[in-house]
Formats: sequence, C-alpha cells, structure tokens
Amino acid sequence: MNPEVPNPNRVLVIDDSESIHKLVIARLRPEGLEVFGEVDGERGIERAVADQPDLVLLDIGLPNVDGFEVCRRLKEHPATRGIPVIFLTGTADTESKVRGLDLGAVDYVTKPFDQVELRARVRAALRAKRLQDILEQQSHLDGLTGLWNRRYLDQRLESELNVARRYGRPLSLVLVDVDHFKRVNDDHGHLFGDIVLQGMAEGLRAYARRSDIVARYGGEEFAILLTDTNLRSAMYVSERLRASAENRHFEARTEIVSVTASFGVACTEDLAAELTPEALLKAADLALYASKDSGRNCVHLFRSGELILSTGNPHALGSEGG
Amino acid sequence: MGSIRSAYESDPDMLEIVREFASELPARVAKLEAHLAAGEMRELQTLAHQLKGAGGGYGFPQITELAASLEAALKQGAAAPVVKDRAIALCACLRDVVVPEAR
Repeated sequence: MNPEVPNPNRVLVIDDSESIHKLVIARLRPEGLEVFGEVDGERGIERAVADQPDLVLLDIGLPNVDGFEVCRRLKEHPATRGIPVIFLTGTADTESKVRGLDLGAVDYVTKPFDQVELRARVRAALRAKRLQDILEQQSHLDGLTGLWNRRYLDQRLESELNVARRYGRPLSLVLVDVDHFKRVNDDHGHLFGDIVLQGMAEGLRAYARRSDIVARYGGEEFAILLTDTNLRSAMYVSERLRASAENRHFEARTEIVSVTASFGVACTEDLAAELTPEALLKAADLALYASKDSGRNCVHLFRSGELILSTGNPHALGSEGG
Repeated sequence: MGSIRSAYESDPDMLEIVREFASELPARVAKLEAHLAAGEMRELQTLAHQLKGAGGGYGFPQITELAASLEAALKQGAAAPVVKDRAIALCACLRDVVVPEAR
C-alpha cells in the first residue's frame, strides 16, 4: 500500500433499474471512483460482503428483498457493518427517511437526484469512512512501537485458531521477552528503554515473514502469530529473530549496549490440550520461561507437554519423539 | 416527430447514456400499455416509480412529473379512469422524446 497513490474508492449501487446504474456512474465520474452495481437486494448484500466497497448507494424499492431489509442486514453483518450506506430512492416521505436513517444509513437522497448534491454527499460519506478506518486501525496499533497491540493479537488469535481448527492447518505462536529489561531501564533511563523496545520491534518486524502478525503484547513482551506454520518453521523464524536481536546494538550516552531476548514457541499441532487461545498462550509462555530459566537469549519449543531447547539445528527436531 | 429533448444532451459525459435511455423508451411505452390493458396495477406502479426516479436524472423533468403523478394515483388506489388518463399522458410524453444524435 502506497499512501501517495491511494486506491480509488469503490462504490456499490444497489438499484433495480439499470438506467440508474448508468446515470450514477456518469454523474460520479468526476470523483474518480470505481462504481459497480447490482439490481437485486440479495445479490447486493453478497457483493458487499465479497467486494468490500467503501460506500453503498441503496434503492428502497427492490424486488424480493427491499432496501430497508438490505440496510438492516448490511449493518448486522460484521463484514459490512462499517460500510456507509446512502439511500438513493424515489421514495420521499418522511417516514421512510426516518426509517432508513434509523436503520444505520448515513444519508438519504431522493431521485431524481441533483448531481452536484449527490457528489457532495458521496464525498462527505467517504470522508467519514476514511476517518473511521484510521481510528479503527489506530485502535489496533501500539503507540510506542507501531506494532499491532494486544487487543488485535487476541482477536486474530481467536479467528486464526478457528481457521486452523476448521481446515486442519498448523498455527504457531511465539512469545518474546526482552532480557533484563528492568536493568536496562534502571541503568540508562526509561527513554533509553523505549528506544530499546522500538529497536526490538523494528527487528522483529524486519526479520519476520510478511504473513506473520507481530504485536507488542505487554511491557517488554512481544507476540508473533505465524499462520500456516508448523513448529519446525516457527523455530527457524524464532532463531532468526533471536540472532537479529542479539546483533542489534543501542547507543547509550557513554556506551554501546546490546540487548538480547528470550523466546517461547508453541504450535497447534504439538499441543496436547484442546485448541484454545489460552492453551496456546500457556504453552508458549511455558516455553518462554524455560528459555528464561536456562540462561536467556535462547529459544524453547513446547512439544506435547515437553519443553525442548532449540539448538538452531533443524535435525534436532527431525526424528519423532527425539 | 418528437419535441422533448434532454436538458443534458450537450453534456459529453451524458450524451451516450441519454441516447440509450431515450431509445429504450418505446419499449417502456409498450410495457406500460400492456400492464394498463391487463389491469396489472402493481407492475404499472413499479414502472412509474422507476421512470420517476430516472427521468429527471436524464434531463427529462416532464417524465418525472408525469410518472410521479401516475405513481401517486396508483398508491392512493385512485379510480380506474384517473389511472388510465395519467398513464396515457405519461406514454404520450415518452413518445415525444427525441433521441439525440451521436457525436
């Protein structure tokens, strides 16, 4: 995603008249939007779920499912709840306007519409949507490091576990804790501590894979969710992250400080217990504490109740039960 | 030869779709007349509602006005002669629309 060249906003028109689709497309052309349409309420809902438009322009008088019901269902469905809806309809009575707005629509425009007014209302709705998207994203980010925050990780852990269960795909979780962080803070001050956390975050993000979800999980603790990844692959990633942390140095006022981190890895395939977020977190946490107990700056794996020190050697995990 | 022209036919963004809309009107007239003859009032109301919404947008405020008047009569369950008169007036207007030339 390049912020300088934003993707055009996408608008879904749900109206039973093709004449209206063509008219809206022609009249919104100056806005540089991508406009597409459906003539049926049921298919309109499916299209909104699948294509995630930034705005829905919705007629009321539709065959089968009417526009009020379409709006109600769009606002109920988690995947479409955040998409603004503007009613664009020939029905002009106050009762319908109130009903439409109370169902969660942001605006109500009557047909025949004034093109200048429609464009202004569309711009206003898209502006509000953009702010809402920013807020939504910020509520999922950690302010200090720019990584995902704990709330987001917990949400994703829950949904990725569902995927893992349903499709039998492995899901791994890595917990990372900065070693002797309290000492770093005490010796060099909290500002320096913040710089260390930011550096650690940068390293984790740089050396994790694109699909990995890297979060700040607590004070000096990080968590990484690795989708479609078995224990062995999660170990490789963790070893790479551990080495990158070890090789990163921080400049304090009078000295160069190196900071290490300890790692605990768990995978759904190697969990003896039921596949719950708590069970996976607990297993990774036990592995993390094994790393702390055996001198820090190392990676431990949780496998079927056993805690195994990773040597960074792939053959160590090669034979079953080894 | 018709006499009603779209207010937007000189708008290059609109010309093509106005042409399309205007050239499809005879088919709509046929539908309106068929529903009227068969006494299919719901279908007639749907057509009137659509023409009301689209007419003005394509630069034909007369269509919107006459279609709205027909829709209102049908909604209120007006007497058959009233509905018939208004439907006939709408059809006459639609027949009068000029399809603009392509540029």
